[in-house]
Amino acid sequence: MSYLSSEDDVAPLLYCERPEWQDVTPISQYEAVSSPIAPIFYTPEYKDATNYFRGVVKTGETSERVLELTERIIRMNPAHYSAWQYRYRTLLATNAPLDVELKLMDQIAAHNMKTYQVWHHRRLLITQLTSASLAKDPVDTATAELEFIGNVLALDTKNYHTWSYRQWLLAHFDDAGLWLGELPYVDDLLLEDVRNNSAWHHRYFVVFGRGSRSQATPAEEGEVLQREIRYVKDKISVAPNNPSAWNYLRGILEYSNTPFSTLLPFTEPYTRAYVQPTDDVVDLDNPKPSSDATLPCVAALDFLAEAYVRAGGDGVGKAVELWKQLANEHDTMRKKYWEYRIKEALEGKTN
Amino acid sequence: MTSAIHPTPTDRYPTATSTLQARTEHDIQARLEAHKASPQEHTPDGPVLQRNAHLQFLLRNLVQGFPARYMSQDASQPWLFFWTLQGFSVLSVGLDEQTRQRSINTIMALQHPLGGFGGGPGQSPHLLPTYASVCALAIVGRNGDNGGWDQIDRKKMYDLFMSLKQPDGSFLVSHHGEVDVRGIYCLLTVATLLDILTPELVAGTPEFIASCQTYEGGFGSASFPDWALANDGQIQDASAPRPPLGEAHGGYTFCAAASWILLQPYVKTYYPAKGLPTPTINYAGLLRWLTQMQGLEIELGGFKGRTNKLVDGCYSWWVGGCVALVEGFLGIGKSAEGEGDDGADGEHAWADVDDSLFSRKALQEYVLIAGQHSAGGLVDKPPKPADAYHTLYCLSGLSAAQHHVVPSDDRRADLLKAWQDPTDSSGDLAAQVRKLAFVDTLCWKEDEGTAKYFGGATNRVNATHLLTNLTATHAEGMMAHFYNQTLPRKGAKA
Ligand SMILES: [Zn+2]
Repeated sequence: MSYLSSEDDVAPLLYCERPEWQDVTPISQYEAVSSPIAPIFYTPEYKDATNYFRGVVKTGETSERVLELTERIIRMNPAHYSAWQYRYRTLLATNAPLDVELKLMDQIAAHNMKTYQVWHHRRLLITQLTSASLAKDPVDTATAELEFIGNVLALDTKNYHTWSYRQWLLAHFDDAGLWLGELPYVDDLLLEDVRNNSAWHHRYFVVFGRGSRSQATPAEEGEVLQREIRYVKDKISVAPNNPSAWNYLRGILEYSNTPFSTLLPFTEPYTRAYVQPTDDVVDLDNPKPSSDATLPCVAALDFLAEAYVRAGGDGVGKAVELWKQLANEHDTMRKKYWEYRIKEALEGKTN
Repeated sequence: MTSAIHPTPTDRYPTATSTLQARTEHDIQARLEAHKASPQEHTPDGPVLQRNAHLQFLLRNLVQGFPARYMSQDASQPWLFFWTLQGFSVLSVGLDEQTRQRSINTIMALQHPLGGFGGGPGQSPHLLPTYASVCALAIVGRNGDNGGWDQIDRKKMYDLFMSLKQPDGSFLVSHHGEVDVRGIYCLLTVATLLDILTPELVAGTPEFIASCQTYEGGFGSASFPDWALANDGQIQDASAPRPPLGEAHGGYTFCAAASWILLQPYVKTYYPAKGLPTPTINYAGLLRWLTQMQGLEIELGGFKGRTNKLVDGCYSWWVGGCVALVEGFLGIGKSAEGEGDDGADGEHAWADVDDSLFSRKALQEYVLIAGQHSAGGLVDKPPKPADAYHTLYCLSGLSAAQHHVVPSDDRRADLLKAWQDPTDSSGDLAAQVRKLAFVDTLCWKEDEGTAKYFGGATNRVNATHLLTNLTATHAEGMMAHFYNQTLPRKGAKA
């Protein structure tokens, strides 16, 4: 395919210099506007290619050379959504082999991870490739895709578009085998960086995002919840001042309607100065902070106060005391927020 | 009060995240030191807004244009216009007649024959450039010939919007494009400004927005729809999980929260009338997440866009502005005028909550010290270069931190009283939605006497209408035109 080789061309000719493009009338951008505001200083190559693009769009041509043209524009500006859109239409109209297109995208995506269109185009291709008529094996395709995504995430572990694409892919194919690989994957990422919030979100998506569709029995659901609570407690004990882990804990308790107060024995040691253990007994259910931890931990105080206020009764007074500590000592930047919580609680709103 | 500035605790367990965080804290503190040592930038009163340098930056972009590295924004040209023009508005600078006309002509070249606006002439219609174009026209446009406003093809725009609608209540940003809450915010803002918000257009949209809220309390980019859909593509199982795609994020959270508020005229009218359960979001979780995004003192109280990520000047608006928006919407702090001090003492003194849930002072400090580039324009964080995007959103964030803009009951009453509907179709749900869209959007007003200027009143920037990120004057002018209403004068308090 000719359009695959364009990357090797060091200085491709301008379209206006190419005889095979003579039949297209280029359209310059602001034909009717004499002095547009805020103009961009384009390179000659970009101006040339986009002039021909406007010309092609005007006649509605869909052909192989349009694929070459749109690729060239996309390589210069991957955010050119119209070029992507027109390219996709052209691929469909010309019955172009989409697996070839996907290979090209592997290359382009690796250089342009932060562009929406790069990921969205993949999603369109994968959807088409695995639709009934083309009958490419969905699970094989998705497996290969997960591997590709993994390679990209290895370079940028918090890339938003890549993560949301991974989540879409898993839900779209919804295959038990695919889901199975995700927890070990998240585990590796959290071992590498326990503060990676994207990985925590993904864990939540994988474990709880399917809700009732996971078809677990209530007993199994209970086991999963206990497993996750143990998991996040361990992660908190390693680095307590990690809002990602505490948010995950709060999230799964809320999801399962588990009272925060069931975590009091675990939380309390994180809300005080460090205490040297007096014996060798290790409570596996409630791992304690190490002497390296900065205590008290703000997220733990926040959690404890939440547990108290939700329990009601004399818990409200205890929560208020903790919020005062946060407002005046441990988290002064959020003073107004903690004071708001106090006001709401004293007015009887549990929030 | 603690006076020592503490770094973010790492529990002696460094990871890539904490290392990057520590480096950023160092850079910000270094900038603070340099700032304090520069008499032009820092007076005994505090940091100085380099108004002139920023105006020069905006003027250069508007008149001379953008260097080749902005080629990546070729499909976002209306954004370059909006960021620049609104930058002037926030800095209280009007433009001359000729520049306004040039601006109108440029923007109108982006309107697509199918309706809506593209990222540049000849580019496909897309919700994001449509918002930026319409908002830019609110600033520079006018009614009448060549004024831009009457050249907007609202019928075609509405048809375009409907053609982008998805069964789960969401919208594609363009044909064959992606779904995300940014596009929906853009669509709802435009529909509200141009009086094309109908129950048909937004059916299912509140539920979609609600489905994007994550366990953290903020919102992700979109949600996964298919499990709720039947084979015919329509919503079949409303209780099926629609998990959010992507973690809670400042930009998406602003767009989702503002969308939610823009949808209330529809929600308040339609659901009770049809006997439907009103969709909800978790406000407490949202407020907690939003306030958690404010960085520590060592980060000068700038905002982050996600948990465990770095502060960035643009989140001054997306998150700082969102706190102001949501607390205004919920009426938090509103009691201040009415209640007064009824012998406030003991526990009751705590009830004397100030007018915001975040530190307005600290956010101003971040923008003024870490956000300003000494050569003009504003930035993500030091030592990054200035760009058009961060320039506007730092300034808008500064505005949200200085001014207290809230829905005013008095203004609301005045607007309702002045409302005119010659068709007198008050029994009609669509007409009620339309009226509420006008009134609820325009009743946001600065709470007089509550502005606070860190570094002194010379740092004042204009107040911003939090739903649209226009000034109130521009939002009012455009809406009065399209809704064919005469605005009541803004008098002193009744
Ligand atoms: Zn930014």
